[in-house]
Amino acid sequence: MIIQKISRILSNFDNILPVFAAACAAMSLLVILTLPLPYSGDQLYPKQIVPGSSLNPYDRGGPPFTQAVIHSQYPGNSPTAGYVTAYLTPLSLFISEHTLYMGTTIVAHPGGILDEILYNTRGLDTVVEPTILFVAFAVAAYLFRKREA
Amino acid sequence: MWNEYSIGLAAAFACALVAFLALVWERDDLHKLLLVDLVETAALAVIALIGTDLSEALILPGLVVGIAELLALSQIYLVKEGYQQHRVKGLNIEVIMRSPATVIIATILAVYGIILSGFTGGAIAGLGIVFLLMSRSFSGDFHVLEMASGISWALWVAAFFVFMFAPEWWYLALMGAAIGILMKVITKMSLVGAMWGDQE
Amino acid sequence: MNEIGGAPLFFLEFGDIVIYFTPFTLTLFLLALVFSVFVLVSRPERQIDIAFGGDAYYAKEISLSELRFRRFMSIACGLACMGAMVTGDVFDFTLFVSLVGICNVGIVAAVRSRHVQNAAYQYGLVALAGTVPMFAAAAMVAATTGTLSMLELAKGTATVPVAARALLVLGVMGEGMAPFYAAKAEMFRAPGAPYVIMCSLSSLLIFLRVAEVILLI
Repeated sequence: MIIQKISRILSNFDNILPVFAAACAAMSLLVILTLPLPYSGDQLYPKQIVPGSSLNPYDRGGPPFTQAVIHSQYPGNSPTAGYVTAYLTPLSLFISEHTLYMGTTIVAHPGGILDEILYNTRGLDTVVEPTILFVAFAVAAYLFRKREA
Repeated sequence: MWNEYSIGLAAAFACALVAFLALVWERDDLHKLLLVDLVETAALAVIALIGTDLSEALILPGLVVGIAELLALSQIYLVKEGYQQHRVKGLNIEVIMRSPATVIIATILAVYGIILSGFTGGAIAGLGIVFLLMSRSFSGDFHVLEMASGISWALWVAAFFVFMFAPEWWYLALMGAAIGILMKVITKMSLVGAMWGDQE
Repeated sequence: MNEIGGAPLFFLEFGDIVIYFTPFTLTLFLLALVFSVFVLVSRPERQIDIAFGGDAYYAKEISLSELRFRRFMSIACGLACMGAMVTGDVFDFTLFVSLVGICNVGIVAAVRSRHVQNAAYQYGLVALAGTVPMFAAAAMVAATTGTLSMLELAKGTATVPVAARALLVLGVMGEGMAPFYAAKAEMFRAPGAPYVIMCSLSSLLIFLRVAEVILLI
């Protein structure tokens, strides 16, 4: 009897999202109940703040074209990891030598620790990610054209 | 042993709990979409709680997945609801439509974005082009833009393979990836801007 | 090392992300590959309506653009499945599963019918909500153990919290719900049917793989 009732609710696909959301909410509650969790001290790519550096939150060492030391998972797999971290474009090098505000915009320039992770050591993630965007865009563009037709 | 990480997790999952509960009771389809987008923020918070450089690098794919699906779902929503007519005539302001100022602003933004390069640069340059498309009623061929988007994707994948199989050419790969992401973000933003405008 | 899927046959290193083939993942990989090839060569099914009481029948035509689009989505879905089967990184796995989800949305959404569009929208919402527990699970694995690599986690030096495993399974369930929607929208007999099989196959494969991941880490 109860199975019949459940299957009647689930047979309407408008009800799936509320059911799934309820499951997620229950799971969130469960996660809160299983807290506290330990935080591992040995993290990959640890954050370090060098006071006074013009590259401050992202200063990971080295003038350009030298190899910075980074803590990646398999250093043997990326022998050149560290070069991208230390690299600065001529413009950003100029800004970093003359002002203290380069650190906040370093994400916008080629080079730096985030580019190292995104392009080099975890490059496959970043290949999958534009593929997701590409597929989603293909869906949107197809529907858009169909709607116009 | 309530460390900072656990406190942060408790806060993030409390937010997720509230948003998911709202999703249980919501019946309006558009509101559901907005609420799901809100829940994504809780996931980003959990990623950010790792608190290393790695977490910053993981947030970007997480964010992009949310944006991408939002884009596709909003188009599906429009088709589903059968909204055929959308009479948005661009920004209907005479100064913007006639004067050369918009072209100048768009050019400045595009050049500045290209100098910045990378993701943020792409966003700025794309913004300039969106502004231009919004001010002029653009009736052009999108195939060029789509092709540029495909080429930038291929450039990025090529840069990835250079990183993996010829790591001594890292400089070439870095520049390839930076130009790839710049072109990709510009074209994506321009296409979104064009979709918003009116199509005769 | 805890060998659920058999001893690894060979590794493919992409920096921190190591792709590995065990007999189990290799089998799933080949299955996804074979079905992608089937999709590539197959022609869409043309639905036939027979007029009752006469000899007349109509065949519904599939436009070339729709055929191309759905074939593209199915092949992308097959490639995403192949990636999800063999990747050895927890976060990369969640990204591949999200890609499977969005491809399935695309396959369902390509049909020109209000009812099917509604199904695609509801499924898309579930898929989008499913990314939340998945990414949260991957982030919790990274924070509590200090690594994302399945090969490192399989050594058993660090314990992954049960909550993270449960979140991962819940997220994959959300992404893999496509066949339910496809079945409800009667898409298996809808025009362009063979591509819909990819929905079912991909969700089956990601369920099999997530079981291995949960047992491994």
